[in-house]
This record gives sequence, structure tokens and C-alpha cells, in this order.
Amino acid sequence: MPKVVIPPPYRGSTEGNTQVEVDGVNVAQCLEAVDQRYPGFFPLVVDDDGSVQRFVKLFVNGEQLDAGEELHTAISAEDEVEILAAIAGG
Amino acid sequence: MSGPSGDKLIYVDMNDQSVDIRDFPEQWKLLGGRGLSAKILLAECDPSCDPLGPDNVLVMAGGVLGGTAAPTSGRISIGGKSPLTGGIKEASSGGQPGQHLMKLGYRGIVVKGQPADAEKRYALEVTGDGVKVVAADDHKGKWNYALCEDLHGQYPATASFITCGPAGEARLTGASVATTDQDNRYPARHAGRGGLGAVMGSKGLKYVAVDPGKASVRQASDREAFGALCKSYTKGYLAGGQMFKTGTASIVPVANMLHTFPYKNRVEGQSPDAANLDGARIVESFESRGGMMHNCMTGCIVKCSNVVNDAKGEYKTSALEFETLTLLGATCAVASWEDVADMDRLCDEMGLDTIETGAAIAVLMDAGQMEWGDADAMRKLIAEIPEGTDRGNAVGNGAVATGKFTGHHRVPEAKGQAIPAWDPRPLKATGVSYCTSPMGADHTAGLIVNPGLAPDQFAWESQKVQIINTVCDSSGFCQFLQPNLDDIRAFYGALYGEEVSREAIHDQGWQVLEDEWEFNRQAGFTPADDKLADCMGQDAVGAEGAKVVFDVPAETIQAVFKRMPAQEELFTGRASG
Ligand code: SF4
Repeated sequence: MPKVVIPPPYRGSTEGNTQVEVDGVNVAQCLEAVDQRYPGFFPLVVDDDGSVQRFVKLFVNGEQLDAGEELHTAISAEDEVEILAAIAGG
Repeated sequence: MSGPSGDKLIYVDMNDQSVDIRDFPEQWKLLGGRGLSAKILLAECDPSCDPLGPDNVLVMAGGVLGGTAAPTSGRISIGGKSPLTGGIKEASSGGQPGQHLMKLGYRGIVVKGQPADAEKRYALEVTGDGVKVVAADDHKGKWNYALCEDLHGQYPATASFITCGPAGEARLTGASVATTDQDNRYPARHAGRGGLGAVMGSKGLKYVAVDPGKASVRQASDREAFGALCKSYTKGYLAGGQMFKTGTASIVPVANMLHTFPYKNRVEGQSPDAANLDGARIVESFESRGGMMHNCMTGCIVKCSNVVNDAKGEYKTSALEFETLTLLGATCAVASWEDVADMDRLCDEMGLDTIETGAAIAVLMDAGQMEWGDADAMRKLIAEIPEGTDRGNAVGNGAVATGKFTGHHRVPEAKGQAIPAWDPRPLKATGVSYCTSPMGADHTAGLIVNPGLAPDQFAWESQKVQIINTVCDSSGFCQFLQPNLDDIRAFYGALYGEEVSREAIHDQGWQVLEDEWEFNRQAGFTPADDKLADCMGQDAVGAEGAKVVFDVPAETIQAVFKRMPAQEELFTGRASG
């Protein structure tokens, strides 16, 4: 099963879990599957218009996904979807 | 070990305005920035001294990698005994002076004493030809931008400046130290926290001018290896997520979602105005008004700093950061980023910490002495701060002073310093850092944005991040580059031609913290001070049905002071501030 790696800022919504195994054939389905288990997770990654949030970057097996195409990217059983969320003070 | 050699330290005695250039001790070569400041302060500053008296010591120090070709490595640390917390303080700033000092081979400036005549103003001039103190009475009372404009005419175009605004001259304990950025040479970068601007002001030092002239980049012992490391590190960074490409201000929405965008003096964790305070609005404004993202110092590859223009397309301020949008914005119920931009500029002009000033005004508003969200009244108040009005003095002296002035009970602070944006209730491990850091409530000391962290991990996470950030702030790297300890020791190894082990870098970070905690113990701090203000344990924030307070037990907090065995993530975890 594909894995979704949860970034530290979002682990409150996954009860502290650092990764979640899901069913899904593309990135969007994988994220929705996490949301089904942990309601409220999906909006942290995808905004109301269905775009990836500006402060989030998505990677599959370490490769950054192209902007605008991320959610449609096909995923296979061995893949790891990683989420990076910008966090800093200043 | 070879590498850069012949480094010096500048000692300035403000009692008689004399300068003494001393050799930089060989055994300190891996000490820079925060670590160097801690070492000097513990040895040479009486921790029980009056922070605004002659016995306090003001340190300005570049990082170990400053002046080299290492990317984003030219930060400067300002250190001293804080008049705000009464403990040791280091505040880091970008801009050019750190790079320039290091290129000239000066690892730091140590300022002692105080002029007999408090009305006198002086400047320190540092060039390739030498170092001297000169009279600067003509610049007395000048706001930071006007001061720098005048200094641009007075010094060569290659010079950069460290300046003290009118708030520092008035010895207000919320005062910052400003540094000039690399392109416009505006005093837009600030070592904000802890009131170190008041220490600079108390020494009669209006500015430091550093002119490197044609001084070249500092060379490593193995130029080829160092150059290759710089290249590969830069390439790796640019190929990654570049999370701060649109500035720290762009994280407002995520902070709001996590209930760490505090509203109305922190009685709530979310602001209804988050969309208007979002840094995305600033980036959108670039198209019609100009403005841009830039690097505040040469060699920075992160470029997180926004240059903000007004509606007429004229420069307003830089950089408008997440912390400022939170403290001068959301906590005061201000609804627009443009109002916050005005206040950011005013704080930069006065030389005031935007975090402390915003927190103080929020206390004033919570006490009913100013309307929530009244940006006009806030602008007026910030401008009156150096005039010495009672209200201006209270706000200029920070949140705790404003709490005393108003008699108001809700003052979110730790060790006398206002809590920054990152809220210790949803982010309890960050709260542990605020309780235990020698710096008081300071996100740059140990930020942990992980609301799902198990309580038995709080102490380790806090200790780990405090060590990483301490080493980062000693290296000259900016925290926004997010280097880890393995990265830093690789750069140190190539710089001096000798491997720096994991154990050695761990020891170094821990020793800096020990030095700082020891300074605070000698200053009178006890374990009873390792806590947050009561309101953080009383006023809950968070989603309906899941509201939280800061309720971490004292034994978890005290566990941070005992060195824990290193885990892999100590060396691979990233700096976070
Ligand atoms: S990352 Fe940002 S704050 Fe740090 S040096 Fe670069 S521009 Fe300045």
C-alpha cells in the first residue's frame, strides 16, 4: 500500500502518526484516504479551490512534483507521498 | 588545522572611547556568533550588573563561516545582559555588517563601559586601516532611516552599518539593534529581542560603520573542498522545496489553521482577519506596486525577505515577517497587512522589536486603554514612544512593563519577554523551549511545530532543537536555510581542514547552553523562573471541543537541563526558528 508521510506541523491532525498507509491510485486519492481516517487533514494540504496550498510542497519517492500537476500524479503500491509544509518565524 | 588565521577581536572601552585590538584565541576558532558571545559574557560580564550600567558588555559577533563563500552564512549575533529578562541574551540579524566584519578578520566587537556624559553620542568606525571611536553628536536622536541616509553620504558605498534608534537611545527595554541590508542599505534588519538596543544606547553608541573596502572572501584551508561543498550544498538547496521563497509571511494561513496565529492578546488562537494578513497579499502586491523578494545579505540563497512598497509604488519596509504580522497584526486585532507594514516601518525607524511592541500594545488594548484594531492610534503611539510619554515608555519597555502600567493581569511572557507568535498551548514542546531557553520566550531558541508530539518527547525535542539552533546561530548560517549539525560540521571541517566529529559538535552546542544557563544562575534565576505566565495555563485555545492550555509539568521542563544521549536526529534534524 502507498504511504503518506505526515510533516510534523500536521501530526496533531493524525494523532501523532508520522505516516499513514492508504489505498489510492493518485496523490489526491491518497490524501483523501488520510482525511477519511483523520477528518480535517485534507484542507491542510489542499485549499477550497482544489489546489495544493501555497505553503505545501509534495514529493513522491523524494522527487518534487510539478506545480499544478501534483494531485493527479499516479501512485503505485510501493510509493511514498511526502508532504513538506513551510514553517518558520522571522 | 589551518584555514583563516590571524583573526582579531575589537575591544572598545566607552569610558574613555579607547580601542584595543586583541588576537582571537586559536582555541576559539570554532566559536562564533551566539557561542562566542556566551563565552565572552560569562567570562567578562558580571551577571549581577545593571544591564543599562557601565558593567554590562555588548558583543557583536559574526559566525564561524561569516565572510566565506558558504551560502547564507553571514549573520551577526548581538549579545549582552538583557535589560528585558535580566538574563543573558543573543539576538541574530541578517544584513551586511556580519559579513563585512568577518572579511576584515574581526571575529567580534566587545563594548564595555559607558561615557561619563550620557548626552554624548559616539560611533565606531571599522575599516581595513584600523578601528576608532569618533564623535556622533550630530546624529543624536535620529530615526534609523534618516540616520542611514546621512551615513550613506558620509561613508563609502562599500560600508554597512549597525545602528541604535531613538528607542535605544532612550534606553527602552524593547529596543532593537538595526543592521543595514545588502542592496538598499536600509536599516531594515533587526536583532530584535531582549532589548539589546537599550544596551547599545546606554553605551552612547549611535552606530558602528564597517567598511570592508576591497577585502576579499575568507579562504578555507582546502579551497577546493570548501568550494565543492558550497556548490553541492547550494545545488541541493535550490533543487529542494525552497519553502521560504515567498517569505515567512506566507505561512499565516497554516499558523491560523494550527491555532497559533493568536488574536486579541492571545485569548484566541485564530484571527478572523488571517486572509488579509496573509503574506500572499504582499506577494500579489508586487505586480501593481513593485516590491520583490530579495536576500538581506550577500550570499543568501534563501531570499526570504520581502521588499514592500506602498500604493504609490514607493518603498515602505522590509522585511514584513510572519512574527510581525502576528504581533502587530492579529494579537492587536489589526485587520490589514498594509497597516502592519506602516507599523513595521515605524518600529524599524525607532529601533523597536516588533514582537515585544505588538505584544505590549495588545496588553494595552486588552486593558481597555486602546480600541482593538485601531491602527491609527497604534501608529501615533509608536511614533510617540521616544518622546518619553508615560504610555510610550510603558509600551517601549515591553509587555510586562505595559502590564504594570495598566494593572492588567493577562501578560503572555516568559522571563519577562513577550511570547512570540508560535503559541505554547497547541505547540507544547515549543512552550518547553520558552520555559528553559536561557533567552526567555524566543522562538529562534527552539521552535518545535509538531502539535502531535507525545508528552514524553517534549524534553528531548526541546533540548535537541535548542542545541541545533545554538550551533546554527554560532555558525553564521541563517536558520531559514535550515542546516543540520552534519551540514555545519562538514563546513567547519572543510574550513579548517580537520574533521569535526558529531560528538564535538554536540559538545559545542551543549557547552554554549551551559554557559548561558550558568550566566543566568549567577544573575539570580532559579528553577522557579522556568515557567510561562499564568494566563498560558488558564486561557484555552484550539478547535471547539479540543481546546488546550499549557500544562506541561515542572519535571518535564526541568529534564531539559540534563544532557540526554544524542540520537541520530540530533545531527540530521534541521534548525528551526
Ligand atoms: S534567509 Fe531571509 S533572513 Fe535569512 S539571510 Fe536570507 S534573506 Fe536574510
